[in-house]
Amino acid sequence: MTELLVRMIRKPQGAIGIMLLAVLAAICILGPWVAPYGPEKMDFLGRFRAPGWQNWLGADQFGRDVLSRLLTGARATVPMALAATLAGSAMGAVLGVASAYLGGKADEFIMRTNDAVMAIPGLLMALLLVSTLGNGAGNAVVAIAIAFAPGMARVTRSVALGVRNQDFVKAAVARGEGAAQIVFREMLPNVMGPIVIEATIRVSFAVMLFATLSFLGLGAQPPASEWGLMVADARQYMHRAPWILIAPSAAIALSAIAFNLVGDALRDALNPRDDR
Amino acid sequence: MIPALTITNYGLDYVTAAGAVAVLREVSLEIAPGEVLGLVGESGSGKSSLAWALMRHLPANAREISGSLRLGDIDLQTLGPKRLTEVRGRRIGMVFQDPSTALNPTLTIGRQITEALMRHREVNARDANALAIELLGHVELRDPAAILRRYPHEISGGEKQRVIIATAFGCRPDVILFDEPTTALDVITGARIIELFARLRAETGVAALYISHDLAMMTSVADRVAVIRHGRVVEQAKASEIFRKPQHDYTKSLIAAVPRPERRLVHDTPGSALLLEAKGIDVHYGRAGLFRAAPPPATKAVDVDIRAGEIVGLVGESGSGKSSMARALTGLARFSGDIRFDGRTLRGAGDMNPAYRRDVQIVFQHPDSSLNPRHRIGEILSRPLKLYGGDTASVPRLLEQVRLPASYATRWPHQLSGGEKQRVAIARAFAARPRLVICDEITAPLDVSVQAQIIELLLALRAETGAAYLFITHDLNLIRQIAHRIVVMRHGQLVDSRAVDAFGADDVHPYTRELMAASPAPVG
Repeated sequence: MTELLVRMIRKPQGAIGIMLLAVLAAICILGPWVAPYGPEKMDFLGRFRAPGWQNWLGADQFGRDVLSRLLTGARATVPMALAATLAGSAMGAVLGVASAYLGGKADEFIMRTNDAVMAIPGLLMALLLVSTLGNGAGNAVVAIAIAFAPGMARVTRSVALGVRNQDFVKAAVARGEGAAQIVFREMLPNVMGPIVIEATIRVSFAVMLFATLSFLGLGAQPPASEWGLMVADARQYMHRAPWILIAPSAAIALSAIAFNLVGDALRDALNPRDDR
Repeated sequence: MIPALTITNYGLDYVTAAGAVAVLREVSLEIAPGEVLGLVGESGSGKSSLAWALMRHLPANAREISGSLRLGDIDLQTLGPKRLTEVRGRRIGMVFQDPSTALNPTLTIGRQITEALMRHREVNARDANALAIELLGHVELRDPAAILRRYPHEISGGEKQRVIIATAFGCRPDVILFDEPTTALDVITGARIIELFARLRAETGVAALYISHDLAMMTSVADRVAVIRHGRVVEQAKASEIFRKPQHDYTKSLIAAVPRPERRLVHDTPGSALLLEAKGIDVHYGRAGLFRAAPPPATKAVDVDIRAGEIVGLVGESGSGKSSMARALTGLARFSGDIRFDGRTLRGAGDMNPAYRRDVQIVFQHPDSSLNPRHRIGEILSRPLKLYGGDTASVPRLLEQVRLPASYATRWPHQLSGGEKQRVAIARAFAARPRLVICDEITAPLDVSVQAQIIELLLALRAETGAAYLFITHDLNLIRQIAHRIVVMRHGQLVDSRAVDAFGADDVHPYTRELMAASPAPVG
């Protein structure tokens, strides 16, 4: 584990990604305590205050401190994206491995259904689900997870097909092990590498997808300081006070980049051939 | 006279994260023009690294720490990239172990040969084509003009190796490196490639470095033999002498490990009670699709019977259907026909109850892939115990049974050597206390000395437990040492089945005779 970390840090991209993630994690945990103001504390004298010593990143249309809102809102954004990705990846991974193990008609049935779901664009799928389930952050997580699962199932199945032909799986079949045992204990641990990498890259999509849903008014609801919602609110004041828009946009972009960099670094570090 | 190839005091390291690993040390070899030097060593001895060093194609983490490599009067180590491309192929050729990966699958055979000829013989395209046809005819390929138009996947492995040999000889190099050219081929195909090699070298007088792990083959191939171990050459002698009068202890142990059919290792006779009787087994892969018929069965009406405690050898080339039989008997492949076991008749994998699964165990060829890399050894061994009702506390006993320390239970498979992994796979099979163990080419990827230890272990386990073996192999010499009865398969059909002491009889099937002739005669 520590060796993996060392390998990841060896390249500058990996080091930057991990650093950014560490900062993000710190903000998620400590954000509300280090925030200079309360996230919903209004100050009518300070409406649209430009960035300065009072409000480091400026203030919004109600005079709320943008920095404080960002720091507090991290909790509402990043863990949600992570939860959605984890749930989606777990669903997809189990489906993919089971499909590869069962093979034949069951495989065809699972994968063709999967293809049908995949044909609907992720955002559209999420929109559809949220409008059925109702607005709210929890439902947005469920929607994103379901939208992610088919893609994950495809990736996992292709890796699992290779594992399926390994002799240790044949040995388990010849031993008379049950399907659950073979899927969860023999095959799943051996496809974890690609799943973890795919998942880290997908977290950044989830951050953006979640922000998009909130932006469209289907995810987090005002006055929550979720980042996507902040961008949506700031849109109308774009010309008057661009900093209200820029700060949360930059936060979303940075966290997406962080997860992407870590995903790439993980992919390289897990590949022993890439030993330079 | 200048030697064709001179290696003086050569040393090579691979730099890894854990520090430098010594690969070759103080290697000094000389090959005279027209001479064939055999280089024998087990896996990891550095013999392939030496070949790549001579071809100047070492990995980026290789460090040459001492010595020199000279090809005639050329110092190979000082060549720049441009000079190197002139030397490679033209002055020094190479024939690889696996012909299936040595040819580019997207180019026709013709393109690949003529490209090399045009480059190294400075002929135009038309002449290169004519020359290629002549060369392929010379390596005994039928209808060379047609082969030139084919792609690598359209010809067999033996034909591919002939194409590669034709290309290597066609560029008229001074020296050709052969890196285990017959290891990936069938016994009979390999024997023909060796005959071809002997003829071509008599005609062309090329010098060669012939790398192999197979000692028995060296007498028919090489003039002199060097034995390499842990990157050091331990002994060099004439091929005719090294087997008769080995000097070094390591050479002696290698020669002792070579299987000889006349030295029987099993002396008892099995009981007469039938344990397993398979009748008319057809193994099917794939099903008929909407637009295509089902592929033909991999085996056709094969009958095999195994008595309690008997060792039955199942011999054949790759593609003969011998592994398909193993899969059918363990329920891994769909089959039609009857298997009678313990008074029950099984007509498909669905009929195999837990008792049958327990009684019939399989050990696979590649220990790397038969042990789950994400499970510790202890966990791997405890699975069959949990499944068949055993005590997981007996894992140390199982390890001890296969002569491994009990501390190995906490190790990961990748921390074990190939032979140790195969021992774990054997322990896993015996954890079920089986009555029949199917061994599918289990010694094929192992070195001869390790192979001898595994065979010894299997025989000891048999003495302990009374299990019968169905031993699938292509090594006739090995199986004649241990089997009571040998079954020969070819193209999915059973061609011969006889007791091992009747193998010298006159009525053996012509194919069996051919197999025996192709098995390298053990020396000394």
